[in-house]
This record gives sequence, C-alpha cells and structure tokens, in this order.
Amino acid sequence: MSYLKMAQRNLWRNKRRTAITISSIFFAILLAIVMRSFQLGSYSLMIRNAIEQYYGHIRVQHPDYADDPSLENTFEYDERLLENISMIPNVKTVTSRLETFALASSGNITKGVLVLGIEPESEKRFSNPEHFLVRYRLTQDALDRLEKINALTAQTREVILAYLGESFTNSAKLVRIFEDEQVSADELYRVLDATKVKGRFLREADSGVVISSRLATYLNVSIGDSLIMLSQGYQGASAAGVFPILGIIRIPNPDLDSRMVYMPLALAQNFTYSPNRIAYFAINLYNTSDEMQKATTYSIQVRIADNELEVKTWQNLNRVLVQQIESDNQSGKAFLFLLYIVVFFGIYGTVIMMVHERMHEFGVLVAVGMNKLRLALTVVLEMLIMAFIGIALGYLVGLPVIHYYQIHPIRLTGEMAKMMMDMGFEPLMPMAPFGAYVVWQGVSILVMVMLACLYPIRKIIRFKVVDAIKR
Amino acid sequence: MAIIEVVNVDKIYNDSDVKVVALSGINLMIEQGEFTAIVGPSGSGKTTLLNLLGGLDTPTNGKIRVGDVWLNEMKGSKLIDFRLRNIGFVFQSYNLIPVLTAGENVELIMQLQGVPAMQRKQVAAEMLSKVGLADRVSSRPAKLSGGQQQRVAVARALASRPKFILADEPTANLDGKSAESLLQIMEHLNRTEGVTFIFSTHDQRVVSRARRVILLEDGKIKSDFAQ
Ligand SMILES: Nc1ncnc2c1ncn2[C@@H]1O[C@H](COP(=O)(O)OP(=O)(O)O)[C@@H](O)[C@H]1O
Ligand SMILES: [Mg+2]
Repeated sequence: MSYLKMAQRNLWRNKRRTAITISSIFFAILLAIVMRSFQLGSYSLMIRNAIEQYYGHIRVQHPDYADDPSLENTFEYDERLLENISMIPNVKTVTSRLETFALASSGNITKGVLVLGIEPESEKRFSNPEHFLVRYRLTQDALDRLEKINALTAQTREVILAYLGESFTNSAKLVRIFEDEQVSADELYRVLDATKVKGRFLREADSGVVISSRLATYLNVSIGDSLIMLSQGYQGASAAGVFPILGIIRIPNPDLDSRMVYMPLALAQNFTYSPNRIAYFAINLYNTSDEMQKATTYSIQVRIADNELEVKTWQNLNRVLVQQIESDNQSGKAFLFLLYIVVFFGIYGTVIMMVHERMHEFGVLVAVGMNKLRLALTVVLEMLIMAFIGIALGYLVGLPVIHYYQIHPIRLTGEMAKMMMDMGFEPLMPMAPFGAYVVWQGVSILVMVMLACLYPIRKIIRFKVVDAIKR
Repeated sequence: MAIIEVVNVDKIYNDSDVKVVALSGINLMIEQGEFTAIVGPSGSGKTTLLNLLGGLDTPTNGKIRVGDVWLNEMKGSKLIDFRLRNIGFVFQSYNLIPVLTAGENVELIMQLQGVPAMQRKQVAAEMLSKVGLADRVSSRPAKLSGGQQQRVAVARALASRPKFILADEPTANLDGKSAESLLQIMEHLNRTEGVTFIFSTHDQRVVSRARRVILLEDGKIKSDFAQ
C-alpha cells in the first residue's frame, strides 16, 4: 500500500468534494491564463500599433532632443553610422527621420500638424505606411455625387451618414459597414465607385506630401488639393511652402492620424532649411524581450560612442504608454490576486472539513505508531494531487485555447468593433503566446494550496491523540 | 520482571474550571502473559488508565515503566515509535482506516515498522486467519460487521508483535454473540501464544472470562484479584 495509492483512495472517498476542489482549481487556471493572455496580447498589440508601426523600439538622437525636440537638436546624417547600426544582428530595420511642427491650412481651415520627413523606401520597410494607404473615403463630396444621380436607398444613405468622414484601406473594409443591411450589389458598386481615392505613397524625389486620414477630413482636402504649410526652420529661419497632396493614409493611432504629414526627407530638409540634418534614427528590433533590448541598446551605444548622440528606448520616450500598460497590468494582477484568494478560501474550507472528518482516524494512526510528520505528508500529498490534476486540466484546456486565438485572433463585431476602429485600432483581440505568465498561474495555485496545507499540518502537529480518539 | 509497572500515578484533568481527579494513587504491576480486565462503572477512570499505559497520555504525578523504559523519559516521535514497536491498541470502535482493506489495515502497521512487502502480505493473511477472517482480506471496513472490524483491529495489533495489547471496551459496541466470539479469540491467543491482553469493560460476561480483575472506583483501585 503506497502512500500515493492511499492518498488516491482518500480522494476517491469523497468524490464530490474532490471534484469540486479540482474543478475550482481548473477554472481558476483556465480563467487566469486566458485572461492574462488576452491582456498581454492587447499590450503587444498596443505596442505594435504605437511603437513598431511608428515610433520604433529604439531611437538614436541628440542628447537634448528628448527634452527639446526642435530642429536645433537635430544632427548631421551619417550614412556609415546608419550602416553600422543596421549590422547589429537584432536590428530589423533602421530609418532616418526629420520631425517638426508646422501649421497646415487649406481654404480657411488651419491646423497644427506633425511634419515627418522620411526616406520613403526605408520607411516602407520600417513602419510600412503604404500599407495604410486609403483607397475609399466616405466624404461629403462623394455623398453629394451619389445623391445627384439618385443612386442611394434611404437605408444606404443612413449607413453612409453614420460613417461620414471615415477612410478605408480596402474595399472589404468599406463593404463591411453594410454587413447587416440589405444593400444590392449594384448599389454597393456605385458606392465603391463614388468613394474611390486614387492616392499613392511617397517617392524619394516627390515634392508633395501624404497626409493622415483624419487630418484630411478635418481640413476637408483630398488627393490633388494642396496644403499651405508654415513653420520655423533651422536656426530661426521662417519656412513656408505649398505642397500637393499625393496620398492619404489611415494611421492606426488616432492621435497621430489627426495630425500627420509625411514628406520625403530631402523635401523636409529643404522646407526647414536644415540640409542633411535628421532628428533621429528609428530602429525596430527582431526580439523585443527586455534582455535582448538591453543588449541591443548596448551594442548601439558602442557604435555611436564617437558621436554626440544617445540611445533611447521606447519606454524612455513613451512614459504615457508605459504607464498605461503598467496600470492596466497592475489591475489585471490585482484581479488574479483576488481570484487566487477566492480559490485559497475554497481550498481552505475543503481542508478544514476534511481534517475534521478524519480527526478520529488521525488519532488512531498516531496511536498505533504513525509519525505525525508522515501523517501530515500524506495529507499534503492528497492536496498536491488535487492541485496537479486541476492545474494540468487547466493547462490542457487553456493552452490550446490560447494557441488557437493567438493564431486566429478574435475579430470583434458590432458596436465594440466600431468603437475600436474609431480609436484607430484594428478590432482584434489577439492573445499572447505561451510564456512565463502561464507558468506563474500554476505556481500561484500551488502556493495557495501549500498555504491551505498549513492548516492540516498545524492541526496534525498539535492534536492530542486521546482527544482525537474520543470523537 | 513485570512488563508494566505503575508507580504512584495520579491523573488530574485541569483543562476546564473544575479540577477532575480521574486517577489517584495507582500502583500496579502487570506480568507477561496476563489476561486482565479493568472494570468499573462509567467515569471510574478505565480509559484514562489504559491511555496512560499505552503512552497516549501522561500522568500528572508518578511514573510508568513499559519493558525496560520509563514512558516519561520519551516524547514526540520517539514515543510514537515506541508505541509502534511495543504496544498494540484496540479501541472501542472505528479502529480501522476506512479506505484500506482489512488486509491493508493489518499491513499498515508493519509497513510503518519497515517490514518488507512480501512478508507483510503473508503475516497479514496469517493474522486475519487467526481471528477467523481469512476470507475477508480484501474487504473494506464498511463491508464488515462491528464484530469483524474489532477482530481486524486485534489482528492489526497482533501483527506488530507488541509486548501487550490494550483494548478499551472492545466489546462495548457489539451484540452479545459478537462480543462472545471476540473474547474467545482473544482468550485463545492468550492461551496458545501467550499474548498479553489488558482490556477494560463493564460487561459482566466479559469480566467473567478475565483471569485477573482490577476494579476501579472514582479513580482508585478498589480491588485487584485473580479468578
Ligand atoms: N479530557 C478530559 N478532561 C476532563 N475530564 C476528563 C477528561 N477525560 C476524562 N475525564 C474525566 O475523568 C474521569 C474518568 O474518565 P474515563 O477514564 O473516561 O472513565 P471510564 O473510561 O471509566 O468511563 C471522568 O470523570 C471523566 O469525566
Ligand atoms: Mg472509557
């Protein structure tokens, strides 16, 4: 009769209690890893949207640029330095940019914008803005055109009105807003035709700009229109220019989408009288784990040692995003903590009942010669078996779920989706892949079970045989 | 030398407000091979005395020797181990571990003693047949009658090869016939194998089978005679 077998029979003895305990552990693990996976997945989506697709994991810039991002704190472009940095194994892409603030106006509307001077080809590899090129826009003009030829049913018109001002990067996304309506193919075709936008992305020698979709809507401009831009150039020179709009892109980040103007780097340098100057190298990494990022930061530091430059990580530069993630992460952890407290008290209750039911039996065992330590171990063994089964089942069900939804992210629909799209995010709920967080959930449950085990251990060490037998 | 020697033992329960003198001035010798009944009305101190003899509790005053060891000189796991190797116990009821079969219950004590598995199985079967339960080796306690359960408890006590077996009212929860058969088995083991039994009872029929009767009243030995 091994202790394992005895433990197994004891668990079998009160099947209901065992089943309840195991399933509470199972559900806790399942809930914890799925919830955590969603949470971490949403962080990496946030980071991908905000950092990888625009900001860059790491930037190399003038030491004063972080505090005062003006043209005075830009630096002389250095081809060899850029090549050196791109040779670091973990560096995926590097691109150089010039950034400045400007006023953009069209007609009598003016807005402050962010001018981003980019190298079109390397920017495509870096943040691929071309990917967000707008193909369809639901503008007032388009609506007027459609109404003029009486092409719309009332229903379709209503949908268009609800989405007026929206931009779409492909026809599928536009068609999706009519998803739940009864719209004929003919009508759809006419809508697509009337809302089509013929923009393109920048080329190196262009003397025009590509602007973000919300900005285009705000300024009420379209492809072929021109923007008048005013700014202050390098060393106080005043800068002005007229730039035709070549394309419109829809940037996922709503803030950026409302104020972005892309220019070829050379044009931006011209416009601001800062020839051959750039604000920073933006760098994206392959592996973004903390350790790898640290190691790469160090490699870059070594290579820029001769220049008056510094390396900043996105965490350095994006305190807001970091704090946002951090605080959300904290509340997620707090929820998990509560969950585990609940599980703990569940298990604790079970243990108390179990110990009380078996006190007489414990008394007999110690009377006839079972060491109390050994007795305590058999009870702990029972608890651990339940914990392991519950945890294993939780993983068995939870891991495939995470895996599946990591590969096929949940695509939100309805109000929720619209809300996310309004904020400029893809309406996706991706899950994080397997990681340390999965292991931690199991460890936490084990800790809870161990803590609950303190009760029987204490009870067993303290009880008096004569009292136990009397019961 | 007597296997048990009780010297000037008092047991006073002090844990509630009222002080209860459960035993007072007990002096007692028990020899190898005895078949002794401790009798007396309920509350006279029988259980208390047996618990002290078995090292389950400690006297307030006085001391008790078992074999060549004074019990008060041992504590904790050392005392538990001493019980394991020297004293057999049969309690009034619920002696057995419910998840173990009769055979496993008997084996358990040998397992604790470190007896190898093969030998355990053999001895367990042998002990169970001594108490007339050879065919119930793999029955769980719940499937056994009260009398059968007590006989398994006797087999378990025997299997540990103790110096003596303490049985606190082993027949109290049994019907007349079962009580009779349990006593017969105990008596037989005593006669043929020299197993020392010390049991308490207030059942007159059981008393009549004992060869020595110690009468307790209000925690004192009122009489002690052979019959
Ligand atoms: N743990 C205890 N605390 C207080 N008094 C006790 C305790 N155990 C037994 N007693 C008292 O000690 C006396 C003897 O009890 P006990 O040995 O159980 O008698 P018996 O077994 O002969 O019925 C009784 O008066 C009983 O109430
Ligand atoms: Mg009693």
